[in-house]
Order: sequence, then structure tokens, then C-alpha cells
Amino acid sequence: MALPSQQPVDYPSFKLVIVGDGGTGKTTFVKRHLTGEFEKKYEPTIGVEVHPLDFFTNRGKIRFYCWDTAGQEKFGGLRDGYYIHGQCAIIMFDVTARLTYKNVPTWHRDLCRVCENIPIVLCGNKVDVKNRQVKAKQVTFHRKKNLQYYEISAKSNYNFEKPFLYLARKLAGNADIHFVESPALAPPEVQIDLAAQQLHEAELAQAAAQPLPDDDDDTFE
Amino acid sequence: MATNDPEHREDEETAAAAAATAEDEDTGAQVAPIVKLEEVAVTTGEENEDAILDLKSKLYRFDKDGNQWKERGAGTVKLLKHKESGKVRLVMRQSKTLKICANHLVLPTMSVQEHAGNDKSCVWHAADFADGELKDELFCIRFASVENCKHFMETFQEVAESQLKKEENKDASDAAGLLEKLSVEEKKIEEKAKEEAPLVTKDDKDSKSDTVKEEDAEKKTEEPASST
Repeated sequence: MALPSQQPVDYPSFKLVIVGDGGTGKTTFVKRHLTGEFEKKYEPTIGVEVHPLDFFTNRGKIRFYCWDTAGQEKFGGLRDGYYIHGQCAIIMFDVTARLTYKNVPTWHRDLCRVCENIPIVLCGNKVDVKNRQVKAKQVTFHRKKNLQYYEISAKSNYNFEKPFLYLARKLAGNADIHFVESPALAPPEVQIDLAAQQLHEAELAQAAAQPLPDDDDDTFE
Repeated sequence: MATNDPEHREDEETAAAAAATAEDEDTGAQVAPIVKLEEVAVTTGEENEDAILDLKSKLYRFDKDGNQWKERGAGTVKLLKHKESGKVRLVMRQSKTLKICANHLVLPTMSVQEHAGNDKSCVWHAADFADGELKDELFCIRFASVENCKHFMETFQEVAESQLKKEENKDASDAAGLLEKLSVEEKKIEEKAKEEAPLVTKDDKDSKSDTVKEEDAEKKTEEPASST
């Protein structure tokens, strides 16, 4: 279990709790934002993993400490112990697995017992999959409990920024918050010696022969 | 259980409609804000550069341990030429979040190669600064078309070569320009000396470094003459 690398930062930061059934894509979603990669392999999260995620907005830089919690009961660890001092939350379900939507009320109840009156986003993940089990019009829980709802796909990046944008707007009370370009600092000069260059070229030749993952789309979102 | 085509279409339609309304609809509860964020001036860091290339693409980085390509981001790749130094760097931002997924200089030691299995993509090595620290990366970039990929490769290669020429120039053939600059600098220094009369030691240093530069420039003017 990776523990919080929670060095204080000199800009606003928020504890974001991410809950939902195992296999709904919580870790994949966080990783997608962290490194850009899309991890297909399923490895259940044990307990919790905390990752800082920074965003640049027209109202400055902000950070979400994402508490990516275990969805599988047997790996639950401290369970709702992780929710303490949560300032916002994402409840994730999988639109291709009906049971994960049926369990949303339980996740919501447990969360609200610990965290009162925090902004919560319900996310229906995997909307890129053709055969959905939970259709958009069947998702009604958010209306009953006053949550925000987004259909997302960690695979295609559909709406993948929306949950963070919504939470940022609610936490700051500004509906005009949007993401802006982070400053691209001037990269320092580097001297590359001939030996290193040759090594890179050899590695490159090898890498160029490896296939690309998911190279069938061309919308680039 | 049976899913036939019409049902499928209906699904897609409702999904699309729901997505469209979800865009604006806020069904969330009213909560009290917990921070006050003031409007800030936005700096892209690209203010002193011109984009000589700007294309939609998907970037991958090579995971050496896993011997596989991993996605790094999808968005817009740019080649940015600095207005004064003429240096060119590659900057790529993730669409929507606008975060940086690549940021490195294009150097004469670099070369871009085709990817063996995909003719819309190519690969190169760079010491990348996207995360604010230099990191050796093997990159692969994929475009929507073969043409875009070709255009990227050609521009990248041209830039790398022009940077080489620039370095040579620095060492040798541009001596004339250098000399011209020097005389301008000399004038500047003279003016400075007048303005900053009390700072004797600083002026001393300035003029010293200037003489060194001048000597260098003289040597450089000789070199190309002897080699041609």
C-alpha cells in the first residue's frame, strides 16, 4: 500500500475520496490522469493508494489528493476510515455491469456517514463499450440524492476532465473555473555524448519494432 | 437478452441525448465553498515563441521494464521556435486538461525514425522536461494520417539539422555577424561605462570579457578561411 506523499504545497489542495465496486475503473481513471497511460490489466487495489493530481485553472493551480480506495470487500483495509476529512468524492460504477450501479447507494450511504455535505460526482465509466447494461436513462440515483452525474470513459478520455472541473467549481464556489495551459518552462540545455547517443539509437530501433496499444482511434482527446 | 440493431441505435441515441444535457445540467446539491480562489494571469510559457508546427496526435513513451509502449497523452503537438535565440522545442499538451506531456529541445544529435508497424507514427529519443526534471525518454507519436506524420518527421529533421548549422555558425562561419554584434556590444558597454561610472570594477570585468570574445572572434574568422 502506497502511503500519502502529502508534502504540503503552497497552493490549495483537497482530499478527494474515490469509491465504488471493484473493477469499475477507479485506479485506471486516476492513472490515466497521472501518467496518461491506460492500464488494461486488472490488479485490485489493496486498502488505499493516494496520488496527488495537479490542475491549472484560471483561478490558479490546485491539487487533489486522490484517495483511490479498494473496491473489493476483501481488500477493504480501513474502509470508511479512509473517508475521514474527505472534502469531495467520486462514486464510480461500470455501465457494463449492472450490479456495480445497484451498489452505488451503499457506497453513497457509507460516504455520507463520514463526510457530510461534500460535493459528490457519480461517474458511469466504460461508456465506450458497445453493450451497456446500464443505459443513460436508467441512471437516476444522482437525482434522488443530489449528486452530479457524468458518463465517462477512461479508455477514450470521454468527459475524463469533467469530474475534477465540477469539484473544483463547487469547492471554490465559482462556476467560471476552467482549465488553462500550465506554463511550459524552458527545458535546460543537455550535452549528449556520442556513446550515450549510440545507446539511445539502439534502444530506439528496438522500441520501434514494438506495436502500439490501441492504435485504431484518431480523435486524440 | 437479444440485442438487435434498432434497440442498439436507440441506446446510442439516448446516450447521446443524455450526454448532451448532462453537459450543462447541474443536479448536485448546494454546498458551501471551502476556498476562495482569485483570478490569476495565465502564462503558457510559450509567449516568446512561434509555432512552426501544430498537429493533433497521440503520444506514447516506452516502458523499458515492460518492453512496451504506454500512452502519455492525446492532444496537440507543437514545434515552437524562440523569437530571439532561434532554438526550437517540442511541446505537447493533453487536450481538455492542457497539461504538458512532452517538453524538450530539438537538438542536432536527434533523429526521428519511422515506427515499424504503423506508418502514421514515428519515434525519437529526448531528454524530456515535462515534469520539471530531465528524464531520458523514448517517444512515439501517432497522427491521424500518413501525411501528417510525414510532415512532422520532415519538419523535425529540418529543425534538428538547422540547429546543427547554427552550432557550426557559432563556432566559425558567422564571424562577420559576430564581429558586427561585438562592435554593437562595445558601444553598449561604452555607454554603460558612462552611465555607471562609479562601478569601476564591474566595468573592468565587462571590458575584459569583451576582449576575450574579440580574440575568439578573430580566431574564428581565420578558421573558415584556412579550411576553404
